[in-house]
Amino acid sequence: MSVPQEKADRELLRRYHEEGDLRARERLIEQYLPLVRSLARRYSYRGEMHEDLVQVGCIGLIKAIDRFDIDRGVELTTYATPNIIGEIKRHFRDKGWSVRVPRGLQELNVRLSHLLEELTVQLERSPTIAELAKAADVEEEEVLEALESGQAYATLSLSAPASGGEDSSDLDPLESLGELEHEYEVSENRAVLAPGLKALDERERRILHLRFFEGLTQSQIAQQVGISQMHVSRLIRRSLEKLREEIATEQSSGRRAL
Amino acid sequence: MASDAITLRIPHDKPFHGVARLVVGGLAARLDLTYEHLEDLQLALATVLENDAYLTGSDVTVKLAVNPDSVGMVIGPLQDEQVRADLQDDAGEGISLRRLLSTLVDDVGVDPGDGGAWLRLEKRVPMKRPEPKGTP
Repeated sequence: MSVPQEKADRELLRRYHEEGDLRARERLIEQYLPLVRSLARRYSYRGEMHEDLVQVGCIGLIKAIDRFDIDRGVELTTYATPNIIGEIKRHFRDKGWSVRVPRGLQELNVRLSHLLEELTVQLERSPTIAELAKAADVEEEEVLEALESGQAYATLSLSAPASGGEDSSDLDPLESLGELEHEYEVSENRAVLAPGLKALDERERRILHLRFFEGLTQSQIAQQVGISQMHVSRLIRRSLEKLREEIATEQSSGRRAL
Repeated sequence: MASDAITLRIPHDKPFHGVARLVVGGLAARLDLTYEHLEDLQLALATVLENDAYLTGSDVTVKLAVNPDSVGMVIGPLQDEQVRADLQDDAGEGISLRRLLSTLVDDVGVDPGDGGAWLRLEKRVPMKRPEPKGTP
């Protein structure tokens, strides 16, 4: 970005933040609309969604303008880009537009989740795809497809805001029974300072800790936490996705606000 | 036995990452791997593919190799500096690429190659080669 442009931006930001000049805010929004459009294009897998994504991206832009700290010394583009992308990705995650899962596969996924629990207990190890297929009386390919759709499905069924917020709708009643709660608090107090982890809720942090620091397997975590293995799998994937987004946002906004 | 290999070149877009995961799934089914081993391989792959900071271009190649007692994955080309830095970084209580991959697979390496760094992952798995499909 050119220096005069950057200077003009800072003046508009100053007028908005210090004097409450809403016209300055509007001008900034208009000025950065092409950026939103070009970022939205990257995520428009289907033509008709482009305009919707631009709308969503604008929310990210507005948030960036509203939260921008003039004293920080970063350019608005640098700060706004991850915010816009973050908002678009959150939209996909919440609405699940990118992943329309046929009902049959969703049902098979639910069945497989139960069979996975049963077979793990019965075999005293994780079952193979063939064993799952046999138990579900379907082809191996169908098992794979259902597992894959399950990962995609997770992004819509387990959708939650990127930070804070309780996703109580998907909670298994057993999940509140956390015997490791106290033990975990200790490590969590340290973990809260680590990059990106603030984007996760307590349960997500706990599951990541058990998996990547304690080295527990998915089935062991499932037992400890009282949810299904597949649910653990989805939570791990979703948490890692949130972490990546958060770290990207932190890095490009030149922060150290943690 | 010589290693069997699959090479897959896909656009660097999320829907295609799912295709790569399915191919890993197909291979795992073929080798009779357990659900947990498959999950580890797929998550390792997703961790690399879905991190925009590692991108170098519009395509990415995933090479899968079936070795006598392991499954190998080579992913590239990736941003050399970023990948190497993330593999060095312990990140303390944070979850670095190094911590993720060392939990999910047994060996991690980076090789220079066409267009950037090529990440080499290897997971040792109990290998039970099933009879070819369709044989009586």
